[in-house]
Amino acid sequence: MPVFVPASLEEAFAVLEGAPGAQLLAGGTDFMVEVNAGQRRPATVVALGAVPELKGWRLDGDEVVLGAGLTYTEMISPELAELVPGLAQAARTVGSPQIRNAGTLGGNIATASPAGDTLPMLMALGATMTLGRSDGGRRAVGLDELVVGPKRTTLQPGEVLLEVRVRAGAGRQEFLKVGTRNAMVIAVASAAVVVDFERRSVRVALGSVGPVVIRAEEVEREAAKLIDWDARRLVGPLEGSGDFGELVRTAARPIDDHRSTAAYRRHAAGVCVTRAFRRAFSSEESTAP
Amino acid sequence: MMQVKLRLNGEDRQLRCEPGDTLLRALRREGCFSVRYGSDTGETGAAAVLLDGRLVSADVLLAAQADGHEVTTLESLNVATGELHPIQAAFVETGALQGGYSAGAMVLAAKALLERSPEPTDAEIRDALSGILDRETGYAKVVEAVRRAATALRGEKPGPLDPPILEPIGLEAALAIRPPADSTPDAPLALPRMVLSPDVGHTAVVGKAEPKVEGLRLAKGNAAFADDIELRAMLHAKLLTSPYAHARIVAVDDSKARALSGVHEVLHHFNTPHVRYASGGQSWPNPYPYDQVSFDDKVRYVGDRVAAVAADTPETAEEACTLIDVTYEVLPAALSASEATGDGAPVIHDETDSVGIYDAARNLSHHIEGQTVSDEALEAAFASADHVFTQSFSVPAQQHTPIEPHAVVGWLDEDERLVLRSSTQVPFHLRRMVAPLVGREVKEIRVVKPRLGGGFGSKQEMVTEDVVGLLVLATRRPVSMVFNREQEFISSRTRHAQSLTFRTGVMSDGTLVAQDLTVLADTGAYGTHGFTVQSLTGARGLSSYNCPAKRYRCDVAYTNRPVAGAFRGYGAPQAFFALESHLDDVAAAIGLDPIELRRKNWVRTGDRLDIVPRLGERGGVEDVSEEDLPVVTSCGTERCVAEGVRAIGWQRRDDPSWRQPDDRPNIRRGIGLALCMQGSGIPFVDMGACSIKMNDDASFNLLAGAADLGTGADTIFAQIAAEVLGVRASDIIVLSGDTDVTPFDKGAYASSTTYISGMAVKRAAEAARARIVERAGRLLGIEEEWVELRDRRAWAPDGHSVPLEDIALNALHTEDQEQIMGIASHWSPDSPAPFGAQFAEVEVDVETGEVTVTKLVMAVDCGVPINPLTASGQVEGGMIQSLGYGLTEEIVLDGQGRPLNAAFGPYWIFRADDTPPTEVIFVQTMEHSGPFGAKSVGEIPIDGVAPAVRNAVRNATGVAIDTLPLTPERVWRALQGR
Ligand SMILES: Cc1cc2nc3c(=O)[nH]c(=O)nc-3n(C[C@H](O)[C@H](O)[C@H](O)COP(=O)(O)OP(=O)(O)OC[C@H]3O[C@@H](n4cnc5c(N)ncnc54)[C@H](O)[C@@H]3O)c2cc1C
Ligand code: FES
Repeated sequence: MPVFVPASLEEAFAVLEGAPGAQLLAGGTDFMVEVNAGQRRPATVVALGAVPELKGWRLDGDEVVLGAGLTYTEMISPELAELVPGLAQAARTVGSPQIRNAGTLGGNIATASPAGDTLPMLMALGATMTLGRSDGGRRAVGLDELVVGPKRTTLQPGEVLLEVRVRAGAGRQEFLKVGTRNAMVIAVASAAVVVDFERRSVRVALGSVGPVVIRAEEVEREAAKLIDWDARRLVGPLEGSGDFGELVRTAARPIDDHRSTAAYRRHAAGVCVTRAFRRAFSSEESTAP
Repeated sequence: MMQVKLRLNGEDRQLRCEPGDTLLRALRREGCFSVRYGSDTGETGAAAVLLDGRLVSADVLLAAQADGHEVTTLESLNVATGELHPIQAAFVETGALQGGYSAGAMVLAAKALLERSPEPTDAEIRDALSGILDRETGYAKVVEAVRRAATALRGEKPGPLDPPILEPIGLEAALAIRPPADSTPDAPLALPRMVLSPDVGHTAVVGKAEPKVEGLRLAKGNAAFADDIELRAMLHAKLLTSPYAHARIVAVDDSKARALSGVHEVLHHFNTPHVRYASGGQSWPNPYPYDQVSFDDKVRYVGDRVAAVAADTPETAEEACTLIDVTYEVLPAALSASEATGDGAPVIHDETDSVGIYDAARNLSHHIEGQTVSDEALEAAFASADHVFTQSFSVPAQQHTPIEPHAVVGWLDEDERLVLRSSTQVPFHLRRMVAPLVGREVKEIRVVKPRLGGGFGSKQEMVTEDVVGLLVLATRRPVSMVFNREQEFISSRTRHAQSLTFRTGVMSDGTLVAQDLTVLADTGAYGTHGFTVQSLTGARGLSSYNCPAKRYRCDVAYTNRPVAGAFRGYGAPQAFFALESHLDDVAAAIGLDPIELRRKNWVRTGDRLDIVPRLGERGGVEDVSEEDLPVVTSCGTERCVAEGVRAIGWQRRDDPSWRQPDDRPNIRRGIGLALCMQGSGIPFVDMGACSIKMNDDASFNLLAGAADLGTGADTIFAQIAAEVLGVRASDIIVLSGDTDVTPFDKGAYASSTTYISGMAVKRAAEAARARIVERAGRLLGIEEEWVELRDRRAWAPDGHSVPLEDIALNALHTEDQEQIMGIASHWSPDSPAPFGAQFAEVEVDVETGEVTVTKLVMAVDCGVPINPLTASGQVEGGMIQSLGYGLTEEIVLDGQGRPLNAAFGPYWIFRADDTPPTEVIFVQTMEHSGPFGAKSVGEIPIDGVAPAVRNAVRNATGVAIDTLPLTPERVWRALQGR
């Protein structure tokens, strides 16, 4: 298993062209677990850690451009947390300092785990991903077009996830998860809520309760009715006739596993969304869950 | 091969690596032994290093990813021989290193934190350490170490480390305290608080918070652990384990595996000896049943041994395992004790040559009975009770998860004797037990116990050593075998899962009149420790309270599940979860305060423990005379309860405004209590021995058979010897657990080491002291009985003195030469019980069912703690392990018996950032049969947290949950059913 460490995107594409079937390695925190377990036996590895084009983030108009190689530790940095607070909240709940120092946004997306912690927030933010090929071809896709099943993406062989674009400072953003403990590697249920006061839109996404991240559009519509956009506050209670929890429970499509039953996951997703909304409208500055 | 260029600990280096090498592998090959294997998944943090100053996990990083970067390991701090960096020093002083297996990772995490944040908050410290799992300390001392290191690095002087002394409080006075609802508990302490006993005399070294004797070795990450040596031409062994819960092995074709280049040996049923044995490291003769062989023609659980390969590299060995063709005849499996003991269950041990199985046809490895009165008298007692309560409990298989997995390196020495350097708690038992399995005599085997990165009972089992021995003898090459994390979870041992039913007869005033405990235990595929663990469940379940009529009955069932064995607490945690939960509910049902009910009945000094001698396979009311019943010689229960009540703020549990905070409508708070006791060694059975010799400079070599597994045994041995000999603990050079070099010891289990082996040390030191004072008397010109040893001198009553060094030189070189030395053994007819009271304060989220423990307190009477620092480390670590038992830990299998959570993450153990503050209070009592008044402390802390938490949840919410662990879903469901 030869390992290449290209120093530029061009070099990376050159290697990929010469070695079809080569596999991309970013932080390695998913990849190496599979290699060590004998579940992944790559013929060729292209380590992206030294590719400058994939690193860091920048502002482009009112959009933040996040490199695929952005680490969780970078997502938490105060400058970026100010622009995309929801992503910082999600990043804070990830694994441990070692994992946050090595693990990347691109790796989290490409792994396509239903429990991937950045995915609900990316969905709620309406992020677009840019994918590139060695022939210079680029395509921009939404999360639902890229991640199509557990561990399944529409990434083509030789294609590299380059960057992720989200709107800067898009309203109140909340991420919450319920697990066995506060800091959980795999959540039982998680939810991301973005309330965009400028665009007067609400987006809700659920993690760990289906094969992919689920956008809960019914919930969004119901929520929008409860918001006084001018006053930036909730006008109705979240409980009651159009009970939120119930809508979330309906939207979720979880399965039973050894950690919890589908019924409990549905319930937990409801609690997460309701609490995320409360927090989005509470006067206090939101903090990490 | 490829070249990786990096800067390693400040030096430019080019490492030759296989492209697939992890950084962990590459660094260890370079001699950076502080970077250690804990898992292949980045979950334990034992392999954490700094990459460009940032902590990363080297087990999930390719060496190639470090190309062009700067890598820092703990070794970078080791500049001067014998000296420590301030961070390392802080870790040693505070007792933050027990096993010390992850010392490198922790010190580096601290270094990275303190470089960016010189004055960190506790939350920052806990976050920085959160990716490094520690199964031993409970993290309190690790956090304190980082605080102290920060202080030292800022150039300030850290405060003293003397445990604060508490003014004792009586139980009535403690119960009368009405803490305000908003009172915040005292700041968490990394030091225990002490309640002194007037019966305890002055000592110079004993009772002091001495740093561990092996501190330097651990803090510097030196090659101290089993796998930290590499021998020339060493082979690596891997185990092939069963994919089926129950199957017969019809044939094994190893030709493809043997044909693989680099493979040296493949062992399996058809080419190895067939000797039945029991794997539990226990005294001769080992308890029945002998139901295992090294490689059987049957597999009895997913994870059971099928074959072993020795090859040039671990990867080759692993690949060879996949090339072994095994033909299985799959059999129906029984995946629970009730299934296995029901009609029509498959017979798990249908072989004819196993010895001592109680009833193989019914899948019963053992049956245990014991009662203090006849069945008729028991029923009469129940009939006389004002109330009778029956309640059933269920507790799961918990796994020990030492961060260092089972590891053995074996080789033939120059005399062709088999040497096993093993991560074991029982070096001497191991030598005796492995001999017949590898076809050698005991004298042809040497077992060496290096430092251990945790054991908790799992290493009281012979799990890998026979395989390594066979491979060494077959290949005549050194062989190393280290379990991977999944094997450590599944193929080592677990705690016995049990269902327990208590039937209790009680009078309206709370007096107990009858206790009947029935248990069905799951021993998994093999019966190792099945009898002794379950006997202790009976002993512990029926000893803490006086009651005129008691009965215990237990069936121990084979199942097609991972093997249960010894685990810290040894049957007691199961018993105490049931007993202490049950009594709380009984008290509530008859309208009594939970402390009141317990106080009415708890055993006191002078009471006799009547069930213990009556437990046996024969059962019935044994003819035991009153005088032969063990008597409680020291007991601090009431004082422990009083101290705990004060420390936890007990009375808030009755305050509605505290229990239901206004500003957090989804939260309910509660406080719970559980009492516990343990033993100190096995009476009449356990024996330890020690020898001591004096050197030219009045230092002493102390050789003990005992096996320090990170607990601090070697340190308290040094303290005990130093106290007797009038020197400093640092003047004692301790070597323990080497069967060629040290005297015998039964090993580290049953809470015996301080009480039994510690007494052997005291006696050996006294024997050496007798030689010293004789010579000192001569030199001082006085009668020897007037000589006093203190401050490394021998003193006459008139104030004249000679340095001990002069006495050593005199003895070794000048006059009537002799080696001043002492040797002694010790066993005891007693096993005095330590007693404890454990308290938990919880918050329950009634919407999600999540239970957050906000504080744990344990007040414990372990006699006189020889070293309050190491002893409190035992308590803190035990409490957190018990917290896991209560809230998160359980091996889960699917319908085919395959493990679903054999990894950290899905199997959650507490981390630095979710561990609650712990407070430890030592309530001294004087135990005259122990060394300097000591009883045991290693196991008792694991007994009471789970029931205390469960009782706190009931106090908070009113729901009683009788199944562990208290997962969010389980609590949520119970709340739904309310
Ligand atoms: C101990 C531990 C704890 C963890 N905790 C969490 C947690 O709490 N929450 C969570 O969500 N995850 C967690 N993870 C999973 C993992 O850390 C994250 O998914 C991480 O974001 C993966 O990123 P990486 O850079 O390490 O990816 P890698 O492991 O390097 O790669 C993962 C996958 O992505 C592909 N890939 C990477 N970069 C690109 C790219 N630019 N273009 C196309 N494909 C690419 C790779 O080919 C591979 O298939 C944990 C992992 C560990 C080991
Ligand atoms: S060093 Fe802490 S778990 Fe072993």
